[in-house]
Amino acid sequence: MTHLLVVDGLSKTYTSGGGLFSRLKTARVVSNVSFKLARGDVFALVGESGSGKTTIGRMLLGLIDPDAGSIRFDDIDVLALDAAGLRRLRRRVQIIFQDPFGSLDPRVTVGQAIAEPIILHGLRPAGEVQARVSELLALVGLETAHAERYPHEFSGGQRQRIAIARALAVEPELIVCDEPVSALDLSIQAQVINLLTELRAKLGVSYVFISHDMAVVRHIATHIGVLYGGRLVETGPSETVLGDPRHPYTRMLLAATPSPVPGSMRSREPVIGEPPSPFDDSAHCWFASRCSHRTSVCMEGEPLLRQVDPSLRLAACHHAETLPTATPFDDGEDRMTAAYRLRLDILRKARSPDIPQQTSSGSAHG
Amino acid sequence: MWGALKHMPDERKGINVASVLAVRGLTIGMPDSPPIVDKVDLDLRPGCITCLVGESGSGKSLTALSLMRLLPPGIGLQADMLELDGEDLRELDDARMNVIRGDRMAMVFQEPMTALNPVMTVGEQITEALRVHKGMDQASADIAALDMFRQVQIPAAETRLNAYPHQLSGGMRQRVMIAIALVCRPSVLIADEPTTALDVTIQSQILRLIDALRVELGMAVLLITHNLSLVAEIADEVVVMYAGRIVERAPRDALFGDPMHPYTLALFAAMPRADGRGHPLATIGGQVPSHGERLSGCRFAARCPFAEARCMETYPTLREIRQGHWISCWRAPLEDHVS
Ligand SMILES: Nc1ncnc2c1ncn2[C@@H]1O[C@H](COP(=O)(O)OP(=O)(O)O)[C@@H](O)[C@H]1O
Ligand SMILES: Nc1ncnc2c1ncn2[C@@H]1O[C@H](COP(=O)(O)OP(=O)(O)O)[C@@H](O)[C@H]1O
Ligand code: SF4
Ligand code: SF4
Ligand SMILES: [Mg+2]
Ligand SMILES: [Mg+2]
Repeated sequence: MTHLLVVDGLSKTYTSGGGLFSRLKTARVVSNVSFKLARGDVFALVGESGSGKTTIGRMLLGLIDPDAGSIRFDDIDVLALDAAGLRRLRRRVQIIFQDPFGSLDPRVTVGQAIAEPIILHGLRPAGEVQARVSELLALVGLETAHAERYPHEFSGGQRQRIAIARALAVEPELIVCDEPVSALDLSIQAQVINLLTELRAKLGVSYVFISHDMAVVRHIATHIGVLYGGRLVETGPSETVLGDPRHPYTRMLLAATPSPVPGSMRSREPVIGEPPSPFDDSAHCWFASRCSHRTSVCMEGEPLLRQVDPSLRLAACHHAETLPTATPFDDGEDRMTAAYRLRLDILRKARSPDIPQQTSSGSAHG
Repeated sequence: MWGALKHMPDERKGINVASVLAVRGLTIGMPDSPPIVDKVDLDLRPGCITCLVGESGSGKSLTALSLMRLLPPGIGLQADMLELDGEDLRELDDARMNVIRGDRMAMVFQEPMTALNPVMTVGEQITEALRVHKGMDQASADIAALDMFRQVQIPAAETRLNAYPHQLSGGMRQRVMIAIALVCRPSVLIADEPTTALDVTIQSQILRLIDALRVELGMAVLLITHNLSLVAEIADEVVVMYAGRIVERAPRDALFGDPMHPYTLALFAAMPRADGRGHPLATIGGQVPSHGERLSGCRFAARCPFAEARCMETYPTLREIRQGHWISCWRAPLEDHVS
């Protein structure tokens, strides 16, 4: 299968200082990151703040230049594009940010904001732009009348949907979503996730989905890349990585994610330590200071991303094969009480009386 | 402001016995407009964590601020009871309230930069609290501050005391704010979304910290969040708020094991869960009504699939459906009404 996006050996450093009294310091923000994305897939980039997620996302759009590595989108060398080439790329690759406030101009109506890329790229004749705007608004669950309003007249979730409508205006094949639901309430978050999933099914849109919420990632991603200090430490199909994580950091992220099963916190391994400094240039495993599986080998050489079992997953840990099995994500509805399942079942039936149950647990009936 | 408020029925007063902060009929609003927060009851008990949950705009932050008597100008409160250890907080003057704040009641905010002074080192800020409230001299305050920084697991605590807030990471600033809030050993800690802006790893560390300290200090905690998973992990009691009112209130295991209110159920249904992959997430549809557009009946009625005529007409008063489990819904428990 040819891939829509092929990222190879991407690296980015920033240098600071170097004045009269300070030594020149180099921050390695992204180091040798490689991954591939097939058309229609969702590749989730997860990791703590500062792990390089946004930097990678922006590099994919040509908004930041990497120091090394290559990005091929549909076999186009993104890094070799001139300004006109980049403009053409923007018709096919779009980005959505966490903060919908920041990405919409407060002085421009929602209709104008969505029309802008259509006009810029000459995607519709002038007479058809308005109709297209209405169509896009409908696609994200808003109304034609909303086009006349300004961003401040909308709630956070609506603004995020407007930002999505604007991104969709160019009919992109790939959307980089940088924490698109982190700031939203649960029910709004659900709406936006459903919308993204629906667009994938209807229009075949692919996503690079940046998030630090493992429950959301599990729901939406087909593939996952776990970033630690700018390096991919584990990557592969979503079920494999989440079902049987082989890097201690992936396990730490999962253990830190609260689960709705009452009282589960106390039974899980606590998180220790802090993310690494990008200025650290030591040659041992960067996770060693926080890792409970560390041995002397880990201090001698930096583990490389490699195949550690017959699956398609890769992990960068010297002891990946021998880590004990873990069951980190223990939040299925079958873990909840009979009364809980019964009531949620009643709710589902009341919402859509004709549709049969979708619970996999299902035991609420008997 | 809104005319006489009705007093709670007598049997409610029993709950009050062990609470350090007792709140009855708390109503918050602006003059000549409908209340934003309406007749809220809370009981914060020593060593217990009460979680307040609900969508944005439901009045959680105003509730928290009102307990500290820190409401923004133009917004006022009324209550049948607002007592800290038997002391009536409603009529206290600012001087007396300043003594209580930071000493017996402390608050932690989502964004630590709003509470920290950017031109003072964090060490100066924490020792100031001790000198003002505990009358300590600088030397003993320094020792106590260092001890507190270590308790909240700030690495290299000695050097960090000399840092200015902007020199610290978000997680570290949040710990500093918690340290300042806790250094005077308050009986009540109010934390408004203290980890919402942080990584899950730091969130998990901070929650364990709050969890440990409330036991150690016998502190009552009001934790505001919209993350239900977090509530499942840490709460002793849960209060679910919708559009300014309490719709369900129960001990943690009862809320998760026996949830009753259609709004609570709708929140649970919207969570991405292991067995929901490949299915659309359930959404609630519609929006929280703002305080201007609330109807006389149940405030959730416009979004509730179980709504019937009486729901639109009359507000369902909070009733105790099981011991300690309060609910404001005409039709709960639902299975009695649905075949
Ligand atoms: N323009 C810049 N100059 C210097 N350092 C930067 C710059 N942009 C980002 N960084 C650093 O790069 C690291 C990764 O940042 P980012 O990609 O935003 O991470 P994430 O999105 O995972 O939080 C951080 O340590 C950040 O401080
Ligand atoms: N300073 C203020 N002036 C006027 N209205 C306010 C103010 N602060 C909050 N509100 C209103 O009160 C309601 C509840 O706000 P808040 O307590 O912040 O909710 P939450 O914390 O649950 O998101 C909101 O609808 C908001 O519009
Ligand atoms: S290489 Fe060693 S220190 Fe690094 S993650 Fe694996 S076990 Fe831990
Ligand atoms: S009182 Fe009626 S409208 Fe309100 S939550 Fe209960 S069933 Fe729904
Ligand atoms: Mg980022
Ligand atoms: Mg709030």
